[in-house]
Amino acid sequence: MPAFDPTAHALSVNRRAFLQQSAYGLGGLALAMLTNRLGAATPGATRPKGWHGALVAPHFPVKARRVIYLCMAGGPSQFETFDWKPKLKALHDQPFPESFTAGQQLAQLQNMVLKARGAFTEFRRHGQSGIEISDLFPHIASVADDLCVVRSMTTEQINHDTAHAFMNTGSIIKGRPSMGSWLLYGLGAETQELPGFIVLTSAGRFGLQPISARQWSSGALPSKFQGIQFQSRGDAVHYVGNPAGVCQSTQRQVVEEVQRLNGLLAEETLDPEITTRIAQYELAFKMQTSVPELTDLKREPKEMLDLYGVKEPGDGSFASNCLLARRLAERGVRMIQLYHRAWDHHGQLEEGMKSGARDVDQATAALIKDLKQRGMLDDTLILWGGEFGRTPMGQGTGRDHHINAFSVFMAGGGVKAGTTYGATDDLGYRAVENVVDVHDLHATMLALMGIDHVRLNTKFQGLDIRLTGVAGKVVPGLMA
Amino acid sequence: MRSGQLLSRLAILAALMPAIALAAAPRVSFNRDIRPIMSDTCFHCHGFDAKSRKAGLRLDLREEALKPTKNGVLPIVPGEPEKSEVILRINDTADPMPPEEAHKTLTPAQKELFRRWIAEGAPYEPHWAYAPLVRPAVPAVASAESRAARSDHPVDAFIRAKLAAKKISPSPAAEPARLLRRLSLDLTGLPPTPAEVAAFKADSLRDPRTAYRAQVDRLLASPRHGERMAVWWLDVARFTDTVGFHGDQNQRIFPYRDYVIAAFNANKRFDAFTREQLAGDLLPSPTTEQRIATGYNRLNMMTREGGAQPKEYLAKYGAERVRSVAAAWFGSTFGCAECHDHKFDPIKTRDFYELQSFFADVKQWGVYSDYAYTPNPDLKGWSNDHPFPPELAVTSPYLVARRERLLGEFASLRSSLPEAAVEAWVAEALSHLERNPTGWSELASKAALSAEELRGADKKKAPAKARARPAPTSLTLLAEPGRLATLRLEVPPVPDGKAPGLLRLTAARLRRPGAREEKLEISFADASDKEPRYADGAEVLGISTGWRIPRADTPRSGVWQLAVPRLLAAGDEVELIFAAAPPPGLRVFSSPLAASDPLETASAGQLAALRTAPGQRTVAQRALVADAALFAHAADRSILERAQRLAARIRETRDGQAWSLITEAVATPLELRVLPRGNWQDESGPIVRPATPSFLPGRRESTPERRLTRLDLAEFIVSKENPITARTVVNRLWAMLFGTGLSAVLDDLGSQGELPSHPELLDWLAAEFRESGWDLRHTIRLIVTSDTYRQGSSLRRELRDADPSNRLLASQNPRRLEAEFVRDAALFAAGLLNLRDIGGPSAKPYQPPGYYAALQFPDRDYIASDDEEQWRRGVYMHWQRTFLHPMLANFDAPSRDECAAARTVSNTPQQALTLLNDPTFVEAARALAARALAAGSSDATRLREAFQIALGRDPKATERDSLLKLLAAQRDHYRTNPDDAEKLLRIGLAPAPAGDAAELAAWSQVARVVLNLQEFITRY
Repeated sequence: MPAFDPTAHALSVNRRAFLQQSAYGLGGLALAMLTNRLGAATPGATRPKGWHGALVAPHFPVKARRVIYLCMAGGPSQFETFDWKPKLKALHDQPFPESFTAGQQLAQLQNMVLKARGAFTEFRRHGQSGIEISDLFPHIASVADDLCVVRSMTTEQINHDTAHAFMNTGSIIKGRPSMGSWLLYGLGAETQELPGFIVLTSAGRFGLQPISARQWSSGALPSKFQGIQFQSRGDAVHYVGNPAGVCQSTQRQVVEEVQRLNGLLAEETLDPEITTRIAQYELAFKMQTSVPELTDLKREPKEMLDLYGVKEPGDGSFASNCLLARRLAERGVRMIQLYHRAWDHHGQLEEGMKSGARDVDQATAALIKDLKQRGMLDDTLILWGGEFGRTPMGQGTGRDHHINAFSVFMAGGGVKAGTTYGATDDLGYRAVENVVDVHDLHATMLALMGIDHVRLNTKFQGLDIRLTGVAGKVVPGLMA
Repeated sequence: MRSGQLLSRLAILAALMPAIALAAAPRVSFNRDIRPIMSDTCFHCHGFDAKSRKAGLRLDLREEALKPTKNGVLPIVPGEPEKSEVILRINDTADPMPPEEAHKTLTPAQKELFRRWIAEGAPYEPHWAYAPLVRPAVPAVASAESRAARSDHPVDAFIRAKLAAKKISPSPAAEPARLLRRLSLDLTGLPPTPAEVAAFKADSLRDPRTAYRAQVDRLLASPRHGERMAVWWLDVARFTDTVGFHGDQNQRIFPYRDYVIAAFNANKRFDAFTREQLAGDLLPSPTTEQRIATGYNRLNMMTREGGAQPKEYLAKYGAERVRSVAAAWFGSTFGCAECHDHKFDPIKTRDFYELQSFFADVKQWGVYSDYAYTPNPDLKGWSNDHPFPPELAVTSPYLVARRERLLGEFASLRSSLPEAAVEAWVAEALSHLERNPTGWSELASKAALSAEELRGADKKKAPAKARARPAPTSLTLLAEPGRLATLRLEVPPVPDGKAPGLLRLTAARLRRPGAREEKLEISFADASDKEPRYADGAEVLGISTGWRIPRADTPRSGVWQLAVPRLLAAGDEVELIFAAAPPPGLRVFSSPLAASDPLETASAGQLAALRTAPGQRTVAQRALVADAALFAHAADRSILERAQRLAARIRETRDGQAWSLITEAVATPLELRVLPRGNWQDESGPIVRPATPSFLPGRRESTPERRLTRLDLAEFIVSKENPITARTVVNRLWAMLFGTGLSAVLDDLGSQGELPSHPELLDWLAAEFRESGWDLRHTIRLIVTSDTYRQGSSLRRELRDADPSNRLLASQNPRRLEAEFVRDAALFAAGLLNLRDIGGPSAKPYQPPGYYAALQFPDRDYIASDDEEQWRRGVYMHWQRTFLHPMLANFDAPSRDECAAARTVSNTPQQALTLLNDPTFVEAARALAARALAAGSSDATRLREAFQIALGRDPKATERDSLLKLLAAQRDHYRTNPDDAEKLLRIGLAPAPAGDAAELAAWSQVARVVLNLQEFITRY
């Protein structure tokens, strides 16, 4: 009998059946890899165990190898961050012109009298590039020349839950994989000892909104591509700690015994799941060591803690999480997503923005500087932004949700540094120049990772689904 | 798989595997060979969707494909491939079809298939799943094996016909122990007991077929069968305990789960099951059960997010319902049709909205709250803690039984009180009653302090004098000497027109001269008159966290029971601190009496019982007196605490009453329109009324005179004309029993799905299912009694190339257990699993702390069940949509945001970590170890016991030797580290048996190995 050829095997079965089940082994999604491999020069080249991605060859030149998405959950105001609108300030407390708002979807301002609210902060130009940044963010301003600020973002979803879903998956329909899952599926991770897509959460004092594990779901992709949330209490990864009364060496004995007995079963039963299981136990045991080592920030030198503004290492703060993000990036994690829940300022905008800025400003800038000094900023794509923006109209002491215009910034990983892209109208109500919608942002991020967004897809309920749905265009203006 | 299909695929491989010779090819079949290629590569531009159609060409209809196009070319000329434009273009390198930008390519083999198909006359066939269901003839099986086995089983006939054509022989039957384990796990989700295995082995020696049939009957009749089937259906029905959007609040709907389990246990006909869930409320004089079933229509995700537009969310709910109903009953994916006609299936946008409009009468709100910006008069004052109406109040048999059990426990606790102690207390109480015949003494007020003064006092500052005194929030009272067990607060009348106030007693303190201030803990407080308050979606029991005082013309009282009664002396002071100033005129009374229900304190009945001489008390009076003594007297603190805990649990059963989300029909259904591109703000689309999908036979439409209802939809689904529901259900049952469906894509039988491996068998089973009276149990019995099902599951190396996915079923498939059954198997092996109860509220197993930290509105805490509810089956686990229990999530249970007809089966390090370290599994291992230890005195006997319990077999010599070595090492470790042993044994709620801790710890480690084995979590 000829040696088992996985390519032949995969092609010999119905494609969908293969995705569902392959009795003789091969992780289900190998097919995508194999069909890609057909176009590659040398099929079947050996690589270390584990998932190396559905793409054998990148579609585009690879600029970024990993993504760190600093999600400012709740939707920070663009008017107090990156979109300076002097005319709005001049109109402060005056009725907001109806020509802008008639027939538009509003959230909590439904049926209310609309008044303009100007920025309560000052803006200044920073760096060689002279990007205007609010005074609330002096540290971020200090790395202005590394930033690519997008002022013309738009989204389709005006409520937190669905807006996060849209920002993460490009859809509000359940079952769509999140961006991190797509990246892990497409590219694999450069670590086999840690999950390839890790999520960290922190919370501020004002404007908290809930966040769901759905946001890092792998949806229709196998669950091994889902984001793994690191917990700030207890074990960083669920069940990564040994039970009380079981030390590392006795645990090792237990795991080795499981491996031995599973090996015996594998000898007598032809079931490829057994060999996969053995590999997973090995990986699990490695994680039991690597995760505590990874999350032990006390090993970081004091000046590093000071750079990020970490008060208590591992305290679950955004600063601590940023430092952890850098350590994850160093270890080859493909996508690191930080949520900072602090930005839903329907009221107390001033207190809320100041507090939120204090939480994130220094650590965000520190992450950029730190990656830069390690030579990692070039291939690390950072995205900073919320799930939507805020209204130029006031809502009591705050601002309502807004989807027609908001700002995000990117840094590193092949983005055009020291630039701004797009613009809103005079009052910041609507993105009017070089509009970037969420699909465009996704398409561009994937392109920087070497992926053509229309060619990274999977079958789900009769459709080829992809991160960008049926839309999305790469925005060259954001790329270096 | 048809031989032609296989050959065609082998042909695809020809370039890669030249060694494989091609046999003479049979005729090309449109459904089998051509439609999948067209669906994947052509229909996007040349299919159903008129909007995306290019060159005016459509290939999905034969007559269209034969017509000349706009350019005057003939796409398909039957019999003449060389004249067919389709063939020219797919071979055109300069201007190929599909075009480059589609990123789809045809292989040479696919091109050849196309050519041959046209050469053979280009015959079309309707899509198999939508074609009328006609029962095919059972093939006559000529194989020697079948004759030898005297099998005339129709399932085997279909399977063997194909195997025989490929000259493949089926596998022999699995050996009895493994077979019973398979059957037991498939039908009940639980492994067999060692005794069951032994009995079956013995019976099999005599007459294997009869023995096996007896096991099938036994397991199908087991109440565990309903729980097993419910795991399947609850995925389909997207059953959860929380609403899913935003704050993901709790919803009350566990009686629906009880209904589903009971339906399977009663083998309710699937047509009735369908009718009741979709339209039980529309049946004539619906029963409570039928109304509970309509909870199905309410299991869509819901929101309460501030700023959400009610209309937008109603559109979201409606769209989800279409997707879920279509996935559940039609095995079809309607999702795309929300915005455009389906590109690959004949599902039109109009179909989507017509199906949605069947549900336009379901009473619901877009936003289940009342905000200033989106006022909702129906839910005035609703908060994030409120339920999600409409609901039905029902009696839960589980809660009734639990209450009875707890009352029994309480009675035995009561009877454990020494009579002398009771009578001594009665004597004391009677002397008090002589002075205070009502049982209550009013406490004189000493001082009242405002909140500001309280804060000032805390900081040891004098209160500000100059300002007007704010209303006091602290009351200091002079205590009545004697026993203090209960406090009663009486508030003056709240006249009509005045808003009811909220009285919240935040702390009570006791000050004695010369002693440190003591906190007076309250065990429970209640009032007979109170406005309801809600927390986490349920009405708050009692008033411990606040008393919303109702409007009334007379004074009202609330009663606070102390956790630990105190003996007070003259000069002692009681200070009460309130969250806000209590109503002026508040009076405070104290009593030395108490009762299991605080409202019974000093009631006429209690006083009469106390005043009756011991020998003359009735049974009820004896209980009243003993209860009073129990709660009013802290002589034995451990008994008092147990009594309080039991009383709390009894209260939480709410007299057996529960609530369940149901469907209520509104008089005027919402007007629904086709939403252009799914945009809810666009009202330009045509108005639609209920109609069944246009692509299915037997379409029913509303007329101007009669609007179709949900009941009409249900009737259509279970009608003879509808072919797809029976196919969908039977295919899923097959997947449950073989790991893969006959059509592998369980959630899409449409053209993007898969042609079944055995289309005739699927149709035969579907027809049998329908004609048997939609009898699920009959269908399952039919499948599991086939030889095909009973085969060994070891894959066969020699078939790896001929049938890599084992679709011909020359053997069974191993199947990893679903998340719930992984848990059940471990707890079952541990002897911890609760197998007494069926149904009831969701239980909360141990969960890592802080997991709900990112949940808000309201903030959530997860409190693990702290009694036997900890060990309920996985089907009863609390299902939090946004943060599914990590054990469930790690083992691929879906969050059930929408219909989930198929679970992925992954194999991840998280699963290993769960089995190794989740306290549920560590506790289970310890309990399994204890069972093994109890089985005998030799290590070999004990190991054998553990294997028999967990795996239904003896350890092999290699396994035994290896495990005993591990045991010795662990024994050494725990003998030298007794603290570690203690720590390990303390994990979990179940008490570890007394005895040699090191020995039990060492065996626990061995048991952990067993519970981590692939064999343990797989049904082979």
